[in-house]
Amino acid sequence: MTIADVAAPHGTSPEVAPGTTGTRHRSGLDRVSVEWVKLELMRVAYATRGGFLARRDPRAVLGWYALCALAPWFTYSTPILVVLFVLALGCALAARIGPLLLGLFTLGLVGQAAYVLVLVLVLGGDTTALDGLLQISLKLGAVSLASMAAFVSLDPEKLSDGLQAMRAPAVLGFAISYGYRMVPLLIDEFHDIVDGHRLRGAPHQGHGFLGWRTIARIGRIAVQAFYPLFLNTAQRTRTTVEAMETRGFTSAGPSPAGRRLRLAYLQWRVGDTLLLVVSVAVVVAVYTVLPTP
Amino acid sequence: MADDRDAAPAVEVRDLTFRYPGAAQDSLHGVDLTIEAGDFVAVVGGNGSGKTTLCKTFNGLVPHFWNGDISGRVKVAGRSTARRTVGEIAHDVGYVFQDFGNQLVRPTVRDDVAFGPLNFGLADWEARTDAALRALEIDDVAGTHTWQLSGGQQHLTALAGALALAPSILVVDEPAAEVDPRRAAAVYEHLTRLNEQGVTVVVIEHHAELIARYARSVVLMDAGRVRWHLPVDEALARTADLAEAHIPAPQVVALAQELVPDVAAGRRRPPLTIEECAAMLRDAGRSEQPGAALLRAPDHPGADGSPAPGSTSGPPAGSDVVARLDGVRYGYRTISGGKHTVLDGFDLTLRAEERIALVGSNGAGKSTLLSLLSGLAVPEAGAVEVAGRDTRSVSAAQLSSQVCYLLQRPEEMFLTDSVRADVAMHPTGRRAPDARELVEQVLDRTRLTDLADRDGRLLSGGQQRRATLAVGLAMRPRLLLLDEPTSSLDLRSRDDVIDMLSALAEHIRCTVVATHDMHLVAEWADRVVVLDQGRVVADTDPATLFASPDVLRRARLVPPQVTQVGHALGMDPLPLSVAETTRRLAPLPTEELV
Repeated sequence: MTIADVAAPHGTSPEVAPGTTGTRHRSGLDRVSVEWVKLELMRVAYATRGGFLARRDPRAVLGWYALCALAPWFTYSTPILVVLFVLALGCALAARIGPLLLGLFTLGLVGQAAYVLVLVLVLGGDTTALDGLLQISLKLGAVSLASMAAFVSLDPEKLSDGLQAMRAPAVLGFAISYGYRMVPLLIDEFHDIVDGHRLRGAPHQGHGFLGWRTIARIGRIAVQAFYPLFLNTAQRTRTTVEAMETRGFTSAGPSPAGRRLRLAYLQWRVGDTLLLVVSVAVVVAVYTVLPTP
Repeated sequence: MADDRDAAPAVEVRDLTFRYPGAAQDSLHGVDLTIEAGDFVAVVGGNGSGKTTLCKTFNGLVPHFWNGDISGRVKVAGRSTARRTVGEIAHDVGYVFQDFGNQLVRPTVRDDVAFGPLNFGLADWEARTDAALRALEIDDVAGTHTWQLSGGQQHLTALAGALALAPSILVVDEPAAEVDPRRAAAVYEHLTRLNEQGVTVVVIEHHAELIARYARSVVLMDAGRVRWHLPVDEALARTADLAEAHIPAPQVVALAQELVPDVAAGRRRPPLTIEECAAMLRDAGRSEQPGAALLRAPDHPGADGSPAPGSTSGPPAGSDVVARLDGVRYGYRTISGGKHTVLDGFDLTLRAEERIALVGSNGAGKSTLLSLLSGLAVPEAGAVEVAGRDTRSVSAAQLSSQVCYLLQRPEEMFLTDSVRADVAMHPTGRRAPDARELVEQVLDRTRLTDLADRDGRLLSGGQQRRATLAVGLAMRPRLLLLDEPTSSLDLRSRDDVIDMLSALAEHIRCTVVATHDMHLVAEWADRVVVLDQGRVVADTDPATLFASPDVLRRARLVPPQVTQVGHALGMDPLPLSVAETTRRLAPLPTEELV
């Protein structure tokens, strides 16, 4: 959605005299930014940037992720958490998670910390509360960074094949890869529907106090856009379900032979073992070397 | 492919009756049909005649997936479908759905083609995948994500996915529905090649022209029954039966019936190709009478009274300008980070009272141009001026009272749960004082009053297009932009939309249609702008365009059959409709020559 455009006051004067072009100026950046977000999401989803985890076997990446996601939860030591957070940040950068995710992550973390801090101060908390706050932020941050690093590096095929190789139900693997396939279609369709609302819906009445009108308008359009989006998707999937039946993918998934053939390309290499061993070693080292309270 | 069962017919249906669960009547009733191995069959029939249901009995989706009430017997390649699963039958019958885009379930082309063989655990899946990709000449896009493909490439991918299982029978539901004529012909060429290699091909098809050119036999379905199954030339001679099923005869057949008495009386087989038709007309002594061009239909303003080609090149008074693009540059970023410039240094002026068709192959810049005109996109350089306002100076929402852009996929235009609410959205949102009357008037004019309370998504294709037109009309635009308004419509709905566009001309100052449909261009437009790689390669009237072979080739356009026949007969200017050709080739009454 084009926030900039939705937010622009349209209600000023619908009948601008022909030729008066100086009142407002659209640079086209609003449109460009939507396209950028779309492309950035696609780059993230399809792991087109590479990075150190993208080369590894998906099972190793999932194992690495499990380790990193669990590691921060066994301690209340701030130094350990800080180190784990910094390590996770390093991994995320090395996995090339891209500016969009990093920006959203920073915004989320800082925003959350800020409002909890305000809450704590208003309710008369002291410095121990601040320490607790810092700890939970570090834990969540480390886990989020590890998640981003892992899933940015796994394209949908590798992810679903990795899960299947670890004996997850075939339907789960399929759902993941199909979901990813639908993402670009849904983004485009959502974009078109929101454009439709902007063009055909009630015009913007100005921002209102603290921009409440703008916020209400964005919220309303976003919610209303889901009605057509869901129905269109439901219609689409009717053919998909029939087609999958004719192509040998029933509710039980492919045959065992098919599963073997599909996963035959997965190869566990020395690098994969090394990744896990080094990661475990680092986590253990962090826990043993640094002081615990 | 078909080894020891060669002798058995490909498909044998005996006394088949089927009713969908919960339906009030049978979809198929007492169907008997035999399709011989190696045949190329076109299944035709009106909407709801049971074509698709019949074809779904071939691959077992009926009754295994749709378990309704069924009686009778279906044998495919000599074996009954009743005791085999859909998956087993898939090795004999490949199926390509009408909305083939939804048949693709994997991210990349190669993955999708390999999906079937891998699911069945076929050890030679890689070889099969490569063979299918090569057979349809899409191996160069094997690594591409399916959402980046054009419609034609998606269709070939779906076809390759079915072929990878090496079926002996291939069923394709409406292969030409969503692609331009060149691409439709390409799909049919591939099907013909497979047919020559021994694959039995069954297509569901509305276009009599494609049936005439490619099919060997025709099955006519009517109200759940097979009315007849005949060789193609006999079938196409039964124009009355076909017209009843909303399959208008190919233009060559219609022409011959109008102008060759033997064909009209049924004593002679109608022509199936341009060459046959032209030869037949020449034999019958039909050539253009001197002066007959003056009798041309006045409903083609591009040629009325002023047949000189370039009549649109002299700009009329500047006050008539509805929109102008001046030195426009526009491009978008690609996923790999590069930049793709679609238009550069682009100039175009749209004037009042023009019906403009924007044609050109996919990626030529048609949709980009429409979105620039609608104000949804603004140019990187240069200026787009609509109704006297620079699109940079007003928001797209403000511009929407002047310009209306109807998207290619109608379901994206249905934002609410009823047609009426969708039509009313713009007038009531802008608090138009006459909103209520306007909505009723528009619904009436588009013949949607009876359907107004239904969700637009549940209407048929033709009704959906009418509903989007109604949405556009209620916005009372000066400039109406339509993207492919006739794609994936059967011919009757298509003619309906063309008629409606013509009827609406008085309410809209200027209409621009981006299209692949040359019938729409011939019958509706008075100005054609041909785009190729972001440049205007021709800006003229339809008759002049169809007389310019280099432009046609460059923009991958195929003129309507009647225009091609006119070309073969040396008519000048080229005719654009059957009625016009008939008028010009008919013997002139003597009194008019005086």
